[in-house]
Amino acid sequence: MNVAVTTRAPTSPAHPAPVFAMRGVTKVYSMGEVEVHALRGVDLDLHEGEFTVLLGPSGSGKSTLLNILGGLDAATAGRVTYRGGDLSEAGERALTRYRRRHVGFVFQFYNLIPSLTAHENVALVTEIAHDPLTPEEALALVGLKHRLDHFPSQMSGGEQQRVAIARAIAKRPDVLLCDEPTGALDISTGIAVLEAIGKVNVDLGTTTAVITHNAAISAMADRVISLADGQIANDVRNGAKLPASAIEW
Amino acid sequence: MRALDRKLLRDLWNVRSQVLAIALVVASGIALLVMSLGVFGSLSTTREAYYARYAFADVFAGARRVPNRVQEQIEAIPGVEKVQTRVVVGVTLDVEGVAEPVNGRLISIPERGRPVLNDVVLRRGRWLDPDRAEEALVSERFAEAHGLQLGDRVAAVINGRRQPLEVVGIALSPEFIYNIGPGEFFPDPLHFGLLWMSRRHLATAFEMEGGFNDIALALTSASASTERAVITELDRILDAYGGLGAIPRSEQLSHWYLQNELTQLENMAFIVPMIFLGVAAFLLNVVLRRTIAVQREQIAALKALGYSNARLGLHYVQWAVAVVTLGSLIGIVAGLLLANGMLGFYMEYFRFPFLTYEVSVPSILIAIVVSLAAAALGAMGAVRSVASLPPAEAMRPAAPESFRVSLFERLGAGKWLTQPARMVLRNLSRRPLRAALSIVGISFAGAIMVVGSAMMDSMDELLEVQFNIIQRQDLSVSFFEPVKRSAVHELAALSGVMQVEPTSGVAARLRNGHLQKQTAIQALAPDARLRRVVDVDYRAIQLDRPGLVLSTLLAEQLQVEAGDTLVVEVMEAARPVREVVLTDTVDDLLGVAAYMEEESLRRLVRRDDTISGAMLKIDSQAEERLFGLLKAMPAVAGVTLRSAALKNIQTYMLDNMSMVMGVNLLFAVIIAFGVIYNTARISLSETSRELASLRVIGFTRAEISSILLGELALLTLASIPLGLLLGYGMIAGAMSAFESELFRLPVVVETNTFLVSAATVLGSMAISAWTVRRKLHDLDLVAVLKTRE
Repeated sequence: MNVAVTTRAPTSPAHPAPVFAMRGVTKVYSMGEVEVHALRGVDLDLHEGEFTVLLGPSGSGKSTLLNILGGLDAATAGRVTYRGGDLSEAGERALTRYRRRHVGFVFQFYNLIPSLTAHENVALVTEIAHDPLTPEEALALVGLKHRLDHFPSQMSGGEQQRVAIARAIAKRPDVLLCDEPTGALDISTGIAVLEAIGKVNVDLGTTTAVITHNAAISAMADRVISLADGQIANDVRNGAKLPASAIEW
Repeated sequence: MRALDRKLLRDLWNVRSQVLAIALVVASGIALLVMSLGVFGSLSTTREAYYARYAFADVFAGARRVPNRVQEQIEAIPGVEKVQTRVVVGVTLDVEGVAEPVNGRLISIPERGRPVLNDVVLRRGRWLDPDRAEEALVSERFAEAHGLQLGDRVAAVINGRRQPLEVVGIALSPEFIYNIGPGEFFPDPLHFGLLWMSRRHLATAFEMEGGFNDIALALTSASASTERAVITELDRILDAYGGLGAIPRSEQLSHWYLQNELTQLENMAFIVPMIFLGVAAFLLNVVLRRTIAVQREQIAALKALGYSNARLGLHYVQWAVAVVTLGSLIGIVAGLLLANGMLGFYMEYFRFPFLTYEVSVPSILIAIVVSLAAAALGAMGAVRSVASLPPAEAMRPAAPESFRVSLFERLGAGKWLTQPARMVLRNLSRRPLRAALSIVGISFAGAIMVVGSAMMDSMDELLEVQFNIIQRQDLSVSFFEPVKRSAVHELAALSGVMQVEPTSGVAARLRNGHLQKQTAIQALAPDARLRRVVDVDYRAIQLDRPGLVLSTLLAEQLQVEAGDTLVVEVMEAARPVREVVLTDTVDDLLGVAAYMEEESLRRLVRRDDTISGAMLKIDSQAEERLFGLLKAMPAVAGVTLRSAALKNIQTYMLDNMSMVMGVNLLFAVIIAFGVIYNTARISLSETSRELASLRVIGFTRAEISSILLGELALLTLASIPLGLLLGYGMIAGAMSAFESELFRLPVVVETNTFLVSAATVLGSMAISAWTVRRKLHDLDLVAVLKTRE
C-alpha cells in the first residue's frame, strides 16, 4: 500500500487542510449473532491543534469513530484520510507505523500492562518512538514524577489514567485520541486528568479528540460534536473555552 | 532491559507454577533422550575402544581337533592379518557351597606372552605361571558371584575326574562382555564362569597336545568381501578337522547379544523420548494458546501503541522459548545424572575395564530445536488469532459466545440438572474444540502412564511363555559329544528323574542365495512334552512333517517364506549340503531358532541315532543328590536348571528393565500432572471473572468450585478411555520397534496397568483441583470485577 499516511500533504495557509477527513464512513459490527450499525455515513474534518469533544449517549458510535481515526479499526465503507493519506486503504503494516509515529491513545479502562511499573509502561512507547520525551518527562507532565516505580495495581484509577496519558503523549504524537478518559473516575480525579490532557493540547499543540458522555467537559473544547445513532447530530464551535479546573459536574 | 522483556519476565514469574509444570514436561522428554543417548553413545564407544585395545578378533571358528602345523596354512589365507589358536572346552565346575551344577568354559592362553587376539584384562592377581598346571584366571563376575578370592580353589570336572584349580588372577575379556552359558539367554554369573589356563596344561588334560580346537583371526580389511572370502577358505581348510563353521564378528555370541542390546537402547533412545517430547510440544502449544488468549486485551493495547504483529509474535515466542529452555536445562542435567546411574549399572553388568563417556550433542540439540519449534509454532498460532483482530475489537470484551442448550438437556435430562451443572455442560458444549483439545491433552497423560508400565507387563508375559509354556523341563543336560540314544535310559534310571526327553541338534549354515546364517538346527520329537515350539498365540507347533521350521525373524532375514527351499550346510559328520523345504515359520518371542523333526534331521545329517543332550523333569526332593550324580558323569558337559535361569532373568529384569521403566514411569507421572494442572489453572484464569460475578450474586464458594472443578472432572473422565486406547496404540508401536533377535515383546497390557494409569490421572486431577480450589477461595471479588481482565 502507499505510505502516504506518513508524509504530510502541503497545506495552504489560507485554507489549512484538515488533519483528518472522513467521507461517508459507515461501520457495521457483527456481535455474535446480531448486526450493529455503529456509524451510518459520517462526514467530518478535524483541524490542526483543535481540541474536539465528541458527545453522545452509549451506542451513538463515538468510540467507533475514534477507533477508526486512530487506525485501531477499519471502516466498513467510506473514506478516511490523515493529512491526505488514505487510512481506509492502509494495510496492517502501514497502520502499525501510523499508530507508532502519529497517534497517542488514552482508553477508558487505561489498558496499562499490569506487570509493568508506571515508568516501564511509558517506556513501552518511548522505546519504539522517534524523538520521544523521556518517561520521566512524560510522567512529570501529568504530575506523577513521584510514582515512577509503582505497578498499576498500586495506583488509584486517576493515577492509572494519568500514566496512560503520559504513555500516550511520550511519543510527542500529532494527535491525541482519548476514549472516555474520565469515565471511570470521580470528579476531582477526572479534572486532574482533563488538566493533563488540556496542558498537552496547549503546550505541544497536539490535535486532540476526547470522547465523553459528560456534556460538562465540552466547556474546555474548541469544538463540540454530538453523535446520535451513528450520525453527527450537531457540530458547534465553543466561543468561551474554559480551563479544565473551572469545569463542574 | 526493554520494557517488553520486563513484561516477559514478570508474566513468567506470575504463572511460575504453570511454567514449571510445562518445563518439567519438556524436561522429562529431554532427560530421557539425553539419558538414553548418553548410555548408548558411551557403551558404543567404550565397546569399540575395548575391542581395539584388547584385540578382539574379526573371525571365529571351532573344530574338533586341528594339528598345530595347520596354523601356517591359515596364516597364509589372503586377507588374514593375525591368527590366534586356542584350546577351549566346556566343563562342569564344582564350587564350594554350591549344590546345583555350574558350567564352565576353560580357555587356553599362551605360555609366553599375551594372546595376540582376544586378549585378557588382568583385574587383580598375577598372570599364570606356565610351570604350574593347577593355576587359573577366573572371570570377574563369576568370582564375585561366588565370593572367590585370590588363592581360593575351584574344581573342574575333566573327563569325570575332579581337577582342583587355584585362582591366581581375576580377569575380563572383550570376547565375553555378554557372557552367557550354553542354552541360556541371559548372563548368569552364578551358574556359568570362564577360566583361563595355560595352553600346555589344558591341552594335556583334554588330549589336545600338538593341536587346537578354536581359531580367532584378525583381518587386514573390514570389507565384507574379504570377510566372506576368508571364511570360505578357513572352512575349506578346517573341513578335514571337524570344522564347525567359521563366523564373522557380527555373529559372535557376546558381540551379537551386546549389539542387540545396544540396538534396543538406540531405539529406546529415540522412540520413548520422542513420544514424550511430542506430548510436551502439544501441551506447550495448547497452554500457550490459552495463555495468550487471556492476554488478548494487553496484546490489543500494545498494538494500539504501535507495536507490530511481528514484534508481539516474537514476544510470545520468547515466552515459549524461555519455558523450553528452562525445561531443556533441567532435562539435560537430569538426563546426564540418570545416564551416569544407568552406566554404573551397565558397567557392573557387562564389565568393561574402562568407560569412555560420550553423549551425542547434535541429537540433543535437535531435540531441543524440535521442542522450541513446536512451542514457537504454538505461540505464533495463538498470537496470529489475536493479532488478526483490529485492536479496537480485541480490546472490547469478546462478544458473548453463542450458547446453546446442551445436547444432554435437549434430550430431556435438563430438568434434573442444578444451575451449576447446567453451566458446566453449556461451557463444554459451547467450545467443543477446546474441550476436545483438553481431553486429548489429558488422555496423552494417561497414555504415557500406560506406555511407562506396559513394558513391564510384556516382559512378564515373555517369561511366562518361555518358562511355563515353552520350557517345561526342570533341567537340561548337554554332552561333550553326541552319545547313543540309549543314554536316555541311563538318565531315566537315575533316582529322582521322572521324565526324560532327548535333545539333539547340529551346527549348520542356512543359505538363500547370498544370504546366510550360522545356527543350530534343533531336533524335536513330534510328541515332545518338555520342550515345545510355540507360536505367538501360544499354540504348540506340530513338527510331524519333514522340513525346516524357522523363527519368523530368521526367515525374514534370509528372505524366505513357507514353501521356499533353503540350502542347509551341515557342519558335522559327513558335512552334507542339502536343499530343505521351509515348511513353516513360527512367531516365537525369544532368540531365533531353526527346528526339524528329529527323524528327518537324522536322515539329513546321515549320522547314527545320537543325542546331544536331554531335558529332564525331576523330583525336587531328590534334586541335590541328582546334581552330584550328573556332575560325576564323564559325558556331561553342562547342566542348566530352569529355575536358576528364570531367577537370573528376573534379577536381570529387576535390575535393568525396572530401572529404565521406573524412570519412564516417573516422567509419565510428571507429564500427567503437568497436563492436568495446566488445564485446571487455565480454566481458572479464563473463568475467574464469571465465577466472581456468581459469588457476588450469592453463590457459595462450594457452588462456584463445583462449576470449575465439575468441568475439569468431566474432561478428565472423558479422557481416561481415550488415554488407555492411545497408550495401547503407542505401546504396540514401541514394541514392534524394539523387535530384535534377542526377543520380541508381546503387546500385553495388564488390567493393573490400566488401573494405575487411570488412578494417576485421577490423582493428578484431585491435586490440581485442590490447588485451584484454594485459589478460588482467595478470589478477590472486588479486584476481579473492577479490572476488565
